[in-house]
Amino acid sequence: MAVAGACLAGCTQQPATEQAQETHRLFYITLALATLVFVGVEGALLWAIVRYRRRRADEDEGPQWHGTNRMILLFFLIGTVIVATLYPFGEITLARVEQNPQSPEVIDITGSQWQWSAFYENEGVVVSGKSFVRPLVMEVPVDEPIHIHIVSNDVMHEFFVPAFYFMRNAMPGHPNDFTWTPNRLGTFQGQCAEYCGLGHYQMRFVVRVVTPTDFMAWVKQERKAALSINCPQTSGASVHITAHNISWDTNCIHVPAGTQIALTITNDDGGIDHNFAIWNGIDTAHQFFASGKFPGVATRTETIPTLQPGRYYFQCNVHGPAMSGVFIVGNPPSGQKGS
Amino acid sequence: MAITEARPVARPEPFGRRLLSWLTTTDHKRIGILYIINSLAFFVIAGIFALLMRTELARPGQQLLSPRAYDQVFTEHGTLMIFLFIFPMLAAFGNYLVPLQIGALDMAFPRINALSFWLLPVGGLTVLSGFLVKGGAGASGWTAFAPLSVQGGAGMDLWILGIVIVGVSSILGAINFIVTILRMRAPGMTMFRMPIFCWGVLTTSLLVALAAPVLTAAMVMLFADRHLGTVFFDASRGGSPLLYQNTFWFFGHPEVYILILTAWAIVSEILPVFSGKPLFGYRGVVLAFLMIATLSFTVWAHHMFVTGAVELPFFSATTEMISIPTGVLFFNWLATLWKGKLRFEPPMMFALGFIGLFLVGGIDGVWQAAPAMDFALHDTYWVVAHIHYVLFGGTVFGIMAGLFFWFPKITGRYLSRKLGIWQFWVQFVGFNLTFFPMHILGLRGMPRRVADYAANRGWTGLNTLETVGAYIIAISMVLFFVNVFVSLRKPREAPDDAWGTSNSLEWATSSPPPPHNFDRLPEVHSLRPVRDLRLAAQGLAGEEGSS
Repeated sequence: MAVAGACLAGCTQQPATEQAQETHRLFYITLALATLVFVGVEGALLWAIVRYRRRRADEDEGPQWHGTNRMILLFFLIGTVIVATLYPFGEITLARVEQNPQSPEVIDITGSQWQWSAFYENEGVVVSGKSFVRPLVMEVPVDEPIHIHIVSNDVMHEFFVPAFYFMRNAMPGHPNDFTWTPNRLGTFQGQCAEYCGLGHYQMRFVVRVVTPTDFMAWVKQERKAALSINCPQTSGASVHITAHNISWDTNCIHVPAGTQIALTITNDDGGIDHNFAIWNGIDTAHQFFASGKFPGVATRTETIPTLQPGRYYFQCNVHGPAMSGVFIVGNPPSGQKGS
Repeated sequence: MAITEARPVARPEPFGRRLLSWLTTTDHKRIGILYIINSLAFFVIAGIFALLMRTELARPGQQLLSPRAYDQVFTEHGTLMIFLFIFPMLAAFGNYLVPLQIGALDMAFPRINALSFWLLPVGGLTVLSGFLVKGGAGASGWTAFAPLSVQGGAGMDLWILGIVIVGVSSILGAINFIVTILRMRAPGMTMFRMPIFCWGVLTTSLLVALAAPVLTAAMVMLFADRHLGTVFFDASRGGSPLLYQNTFWFFGHPEVYILILTAWAIVSEILPVFSGKPLFGYRGVVLAFLMIATLSFTVWAHHMFVTGAVELPFFSATTEMISIPTGVLFFNWLATLWKGKLRFEPPMMFALGFIGLFLVGGIDGVWQAAPAMDFALHDTYWVVAHIHYVLFGGTVFGIMAGLFFWFPKITGRYLSRKLGIWQFWVQFVGFNLTFFPMHILGLRGMPRRVADYAANRGWTGLNTLETVGAYIIAISMVLFFVNVFVSLRKPREAPDDAWGTSNSLEWATSSPPPPHNFDRLPEVHSLRPVRDLRLAAQGLAGEEGSS
């Protein structure tokens, strides 16, 4: 047990945010008090077992103590003192961890079965994982408070980075906000901690804490990657898109200009709603088209009205950026948005 | 009355009639035995599920269970252990012992008692029948959080139905216990002369009667959301998934105490017998039970710290406060042992093991009571360690203590002491090997309820160790069942007072007791009427008045 306790003390991770350092300290304060209680009680128990075992041929009873009210009161007081000592430490740490200072860096995290996506509000960048295929990889600058706004598209999820000593639920209809201030460069593994169904164990993500310069470079690269998505134009005026494991089978659709498009949507996800919507861009300021929402397994056909040539953004409105891509009409010059 | 009745010659009844008499019995002792058999059967099933999980998790990668199978297995492991093993097992002790301990003929409502038993296997098999339908059994965890639980197929409906049936059973049982204890006590048996075990059952029953209907409400809303088009938990149409969690945990936290309080009472009953002392601070223990029961209705949201939608300082304070009366229990147990004449029979060993292990489950919970720490530990293997130190290190060790202690009363035969001591040590070692490393996995960030994990996270070695521990626990359980079968074939030899130093009324009647419980009910003048009889037989005075 002593070995186990020592191991417990040595097994915590090195904290990687300012908030995590506070929590890490609280862990050790609690450990000190817990060790005191543990050694006291287990020690008394072992002492009683060794010292008071009945000797052979001793048929007498022990002393008939029933316990006085004063003793009981003392027992209540001991616990009260321990709790009263510990509680303020917890509250102080909580106040520090829960601070939400003004931050230039705001990231909207969306959880859905079974992937994460991150929308960098000020940079206009979206990065997303893909169920069962690859985790979300997101970068954040070091030594800056990162404001996270988190929500779920379907069931309860939980955004957990062990080295940040922090997890928070992603809930449908009830967004949460919190702040990380990473203060250590490195790559940190994270994953969903709230059981969310079949792909829960694979709902992983990676947070890379980098220098501000590297962060800007990464943002540029992600923007460029988003704009450079291109694909050959379909020959006819029809498109077939399939949703499977909460992902589209493509991230790029390129249709001819000046015509209506016959859209066929196949939803392979039994019992889960999807739709197909076309927006101006990832900021979803203006919607040009939205199909009806329907659960799988089913296939539906709808008609997309004629759109101006340009680059548009498509997504499933139920699952957001996690199921999104580029919708190109005609042959616009690279980088031009639809209007 | 001058009626002499010829005693019927004992002749073995035909099997069919004996079976029928067990199926239709309303005798609380027989119902208690049925409860025990039923609970142990579900314990074995849920234990096999645990071994399947541990086998799968021993190494990273998929070996034995697909994720789909794993999700069903971990859900049913928790569901069966909580709703169909631990709770009914504690009710089994209550059924068998409460009327005997208070000197009553039977429970207040014998036929309702039979009904609440027979609902259990029906409910349990309903849950398990999910494995036979398309899509498999319910796979939303034993907590069945919405909206995940709104998804899923017919197995989920069977799960909900099973839980409602078990809930009805427990509510009926609780009412029966409350009425029996309040209204059927023998003359002289005042509330404060009642064995501490009965206080445990009474407190538990109050919790069940108040909390279990809330669970049923959650289940009804969940079913309505699934099939009747309601939107209680659907945020996109004005509902809230938080409503489910608030409702579930308003039941779920008192439930934790429902699952441990009777075990505390069992241990409080056993320690004095094998220490040659009275229970230290009997009234303090009763007060602690009642305080814990009351406080348990104010702490539910500590399961929801990470939702960011509850009042953190309040629920953190109530949660830490509940450790104060729990601490009092530990002090009273230690004071009961102090300067006693300790005899290490198997029931005593399990009771002492209970104190040592439950303490760990009490302490590691303190970390999670502080919301800031909980943000780092919630939904990791730390929680799995915590719940098992409480419910296995605590309750299961307490149940084993109780089974070894009352087996001679129930069957007239002792369980083998030698096998019992072997079982204790094997179980103690296996338990710690399985569950202590889970604390470290939690600190290293391994989330619970994962069907698989990556090989590069540094979790593999400890997981393998835990799997070895789980098989050692399985060996200890095999020792237990071998012990039961071997002992049942031995002749009946247990006297009325099987341990020679007992206190409460069940030890004043034969082992096993006659159908009507007592040929002659001893007078009750104190908390320990059987000790009074023993002293009187030696020409010494017992205790007068309540303790």
